[in-house]
Amino acid sequence: MAKAFGIIAPPPGHIQIMGLQEHRPIGAFSFLGRFRMIDFQLSNYSNSDIDRIAVFVRTNPRSLTEHLNNGSHYNINSKRGKLQILFSDRHKENDIYNTNIEGYFDNIDILERIHQSYVVIAPPHMVYTQDYRELMEEHISSGADITVLYHHVGDARENYAGCNVIEIDKNKRVLSIERNSGTAKERNIHMETYVMKKETFLDLIYRARKISAMYSFRMIVNEMCSELDVRAVAHRGYFAAVTDLKSYFDANLDLLRIEQAEDLFRDDWPIYTKTTDFCPSKYFEGASVSNSLVSNGCVIEGTVENSVIGRGCYIGKGARVKNCVVSAYTEIGEYVNVENQVIDKWVKISHANRITAKREQPGYIRRADRL
Amino acid sequence: MAQHTMLAMILAGGRGSRLLDLTNKVAKPAVSYGGKYRIIDFPLSNCANSGIDVVGVLTQYESVLLGSYVAQGRRWGLDSKDSGVYVLPPREKADEALDVYRGTADAISQNIDFVDNYDPEYLLILSGDHIYKMNYEKMLDYHKKNDADATIAVISVPLKEASRFGIMNTDKNGRITDFEEKPEKPKSTLASMGIYIFNWKQLRKMLVADMKNAESAHDFGKDIIPTMLKDKGRLFAYEFKGYWKDVGTIDSLWEANMDLLEKNSELNLNDPTWVIYSEDRSVLPQYIGPNAKIDVAYITQGCRIEGRVKKSVIFTGAQVGAGARVEDSVLMPGVIVEEGAVVKRALVADGVRIGKDAVVGSGGSGPITLIAKNVKGV
Repeated sequence: MAKAFGIIAPPPGHIQIMGLQEHRPIGAFSFLGRFRMIDFQLSNYSNSDIDRIAVFVRTNPRSLTEHLNNGSHYNINSKRGKLQILFSDRHKENDIYNTNIEGYFDNIDILERIHQSYVVIAPPHMVYTQDYRELMEEHISSGADITVLYHHVGDARENYAGCNVIEIDKNKRVLSIERNSGTAKERNIHMETYVMKKETFLDLIYRARKISAMYSFRMIVNEMCSELDVRAVAHRGYFAAVTDLKSYFDANLDLLRIEQAEDLFRDDWPIYTKTTDFCPSKYFEGASVSNSLVSNGCVIEGTVENSVIGRGCYIGKGARVKNCVVSAYTEIGEYVNVENQVIDKWVKISHANRITAKREQPGYIRRADRL
Repeated sequence: MAQHTMLAMILAGGRGSRLLDLTNKVAKPAVSYGGKYRIIDFPLSNCANSGIDVVGVLTQYESVLLGSYVAQGRRWGLDSKDSGVYVLPPREKADEALDVYRGTADAISQNIDFVDNYDPEYLLILSGDHIYKMNYEKMLDYHKKNDADATIAVISVPLKEASRFGIMNTDKNGRITDFEEKPEKPKSTLASMGIYIFNWKQLRKMLVADMKNAESAHDFGKDIIPTMLKDKGRLFAYEFKGYWKDVGTIDSLWEANMDLLEKNSELNLNDPTWVIYSEDRSVLPQYIGPNAKIDVAYITQGCRIEGRVKKSVIFTGAQVGAGARVEDSVLMPGVIVEEGAVVKRALVADGVRIGKDAVVGSGGSGPITLIAKNVKGV
């Protein structure tokens, strides 16, 4: 079996997630309480026997580098394997230059030195499981130059605004990859996941730069659709694209449907993360918890409904947390009522507050705020 | 602390036969506790937190699981350069007959070469089956301050229970004058915790002599300590204040788990300054279903609760089905309580499945029922 090098692409420049992203890159977003977004992609690589991986980071690298460490918790061999973090933070003069192509080009010497014959590129802002060995096999047997993954959805009109869609012919050849215009319900969402030969990858980077300094990798692939054999492969199973606060909120709460969660968390496909060695969670009298995922280290004395609770949180007596995504170390004080909120880490809300929003437009509570 | 000033040796060879079926296949130190831990996580985490970086674990009874568990030193941060957890079962040596560890002291005697490799000044002897949080560095300071030959950690126990323990009688400076194993009429309430600090060079000599003594049981409590006292050695009692449990029976293991349900539990496992480290499993956070009802409980990641849980401790990956009821119980890792089943005052062993609508356990206040085999549904 041919070997592949894994690349977690720089976060797309057009995705700006209110609040959360000011503190960490999207890959380091907390997900389902005890995970971070990037855990899913790295576990995909690790479970697919890809143990040479580069992760691109543009801004606020601290939390991501802390979380990734040397990758040993992803089951990546500490000698044979390698998890590299590649930076690209030079293009602050104008955001138009912050393309993933620029990120790749900043590290082109490293990419040139890849000795695996193939690259598997995955995005940091999408959550799914995929066996890349199968995808590689399909890519090689089809003879395509580039293989991309897509996920068919029936709600592209109201959702997936920040995503691209793939047009394919009946032989699954890709005709175009364009922004989702929101004009049709049924769409093939571009999962920004590519398999190709290393040479093809490098060639596309150089080509893109010749055409425009604003070009992204998606744009150059789109441009080359007629010249190259670009094929699409359908993805099945759970898929979420986090492109704004609402989609982040929805992706977390969707997984409270336990059948969905069990599709994403299978015994034969472990999702690895870094342990924080929290003790189990304590429930005291007055606790009432339903349809929720609770991480370790929490103390719960109040009501939690339909929510995801991060590690080491405190939910006080008489408090009510409904439809919320609560990040680690947050305290919801006595008799506080919060609904439809994304609550960042280290927040402390004291008693008798009422903070609610509409389900369609969740609120965000800033990191380490006192309310 | 400078590296290797003090080496720790954990005695982890015991079966703990009063834990019945729980220790059929694993040694007592590997028994699960507190939702996500194994008992040996406590002494190992204490070592790591006390700045001890080399730990030998002496195994004997059913040592495969225990050995593979502790060998992963990185779980406790014991994996830096020159640091490690070393599994030491009895081994064959040149010019010596292969022998099991005949006693606690013999286990150390048979590994003198291992300790010598590190040439430590002090040797810390621990039990692998006690639940407590203790800073051994403070105990070493006390040992040094007293210019002691040996320091023994003690804990004050109720007088009526003192005859179950090895009791230390001390003078007003804490120097041990007398040691009585399970005395009928205890003169003090200071019980030995089985935690010793020795000066290695001195202990080494004693162990070499002890090995040759045909009369000896090769035991610290029965032989080494009494000999040191007889020789007028400077032995000091280091009084430990805090939570300490030697969980010898099903009832005491159940009780130690129930202790965690207290609001201000004496054993605080949520203390960021003294974390107890353990294996981390790749599982979902705990899922609490739409119709679940949880009263007072200690629940860990990977659990799935759809029924009712009251005053119970639920371990990694355990499941409580819809309409099921778990009360005053301990569900060990991977236990499945199917729909409608009832578990009351029971300790359910690892991986056991309680079938649909089955009723197990005991009401009232009698002994705790151990469920170690699958129970068919009705």
